[in-house]
Amino acid sequence: MSEFILLNELRKIQKREGYISEKAVRKLNKKTGLPLSVIYGTATFYAKLHTEPQGKYTIEICNNPSCFVNGSLNLIKYLEKKLKIRSGQTTKNKKFSLHICSCIGCCDESPAMLLNGKPCTKLTKEKLEKIIKKCK
Amino acid sequence: MQILRKTNQKAYFKALELGQRKLIELLKLKGLAGRGGANFPTWQKWEMVMNTPSNEKYVITNADEGEPGTFKDKFIIKHNPELIIEGILIAAYVVNAKKAYIYLRGEYEYLENKLKKAIKQIKQKTGAKTEIEIVIGQGAYVCGDETAIISSIEGKRGNPRYKPPFPTTKGLFEKPTLINNVETLANVPLAILYSNWNPDLRLFSLSGNVSKPGVYELPSGTKISKLMHLGKPKNKIKAVYFGCFGGCMPYSHDIILSPEHICGKECMLGACTVIAVDENQSIVDLATNIAKFYEFESCGKCTPCREGTMRIMNLLENISLKNAKIEDLNTLQELAEVIRDTSLCGLGQTATQHLITALKYFRREFEERVKEKKNRRRIAR
Repeated sequence: MSEFILLNELRKIQKREGYISEKAVRKLNKKTGLPLSVIYGTATFYAKLHTEPQGKYTIEICNNPSCFVNGSLNLIKYLEKKLKIRSGQTTKNKKFSLHICSCIGCCDESPAMLLNGKPCTKLTKEKLEKIIKKCK
Repeated sequence: MQILRKTNQKAYFKALELGQRKLIELLKLKGLAGRGGANFPTWQKWEMVMNTPSNEKYVITNADEGEPGTFKDKFIIKHNPELIIEGILIAAYVVNAKKAYIYLRGEYEYLENKLKKAIKQIKQKTGAKTEIEIVIGQGAYVCGDETAIISSIEGKRGNPRYKPPFPTTKGLFEKPTLINNVETLANVPLAILYSNWNPDLRLFSLSGNVSKPGVYELPSGTKISKLMHLGKPKNKIKAVYFGCFGGCMPYSHDIILSPEHICGKECMLGACTVIAVDENQSIVDLATNIAKFYEFESCGKCTPCREGTMRIMNLLENISLKNAKIEDLNTLQELAEVIRDTSLCGLGQTATQHLITALKYFRREFEERVKEKKNRRRIAR
């Protein structure tokens, strides 16, 4: 028998709805009997779970030492300027969300980022521009 | 590479033949130790879980390698996932667990299907009944700590717990739980099956200012110059960081990469992470960058880590922005030591190691930055 894993459940909700809304938390509370505070507390603890609506494309760009020494800061500045948002924000047209994140384990191909969970590696400004253009 | 050898599930069947006690004896003889960083003898952990009476036990695979600069587990999951699954099945057999979890970090979500496929395949080939479920982490560095993984799988905030009780007696859902790192479990079938299995071979994750970063398998005790030769740095290497938690050291050809040799210098080798930093980089900016990482990742449970990492970040930002006084360096040092000595879990205890070692070996860079006039503004983050 499979135990109920809240983390997997929250992930499913986010996959389906894009973020974890208050409505979804209340629904989960009714379904499982877990206190609202526990569900909300868990949802807000993890960096990859969002309680605010996210854009169609979520960019998580790494800024830990391996990427940092290979120039990730310039890429972040470029993205912030290009998308006119800062880390943690979503563009007005709801297309992009930007998050500066911790190591994504792509240090061997740094600098790197995750675009909707898929790694984009060995980034340069030119490569980033192409990736952004491709996002329709 | 040793880690890429195939066993075709022969180790599992050999394990069934040997029986639990003899298997633990074998692992003891072979000298397999935990590869997550603590080097705890694997047989001892297994024996503890095996000897704890309970009708329900769990095996957890720690695939949450959050340490910046580490990607060896990703390498194993990508290239030899069958080995991990076989290791899990053997572990579950020895400790009598009916259920196993793989706690895979959210950043490796794209590898989930690869693992699922391997689980299905290996279970079919061995006929093992152990249920293996994958839980995807959602981005929390602290969840590399074994007690935090337990909290996380239980559906709580990923806060670490006080030890004892140790997970081996009271772990997941209050039941005895065996938690092993991916690399440890992947080595189990190899150690059981091959007489020429070498316990000294480690997977080094090399990254930073090198032109050929990657995973290199070398024996523990290798000179760093050999690793750097493989990595081919573009410029002169100034310092090496052993991950964020392991601290830094000025580069010299004869640094010996083994836990015993590195620990004496206030650094830790941990999971064999090596980040090369060349002379174009500023240690002050790097320290500020790492301080921001720890401030962000501190779970907030204990005060020294929650408040301390924030204060350290503020002080370092001031230094980066040239708003600091020379006395601030002493405050920084003192604060770093207090956080190290008084934090609850491994995250807090090692959160300032990078700074303590940077201040020890590269203090001049900090002093110079403090003395510099505010003519150019640099913000590291």
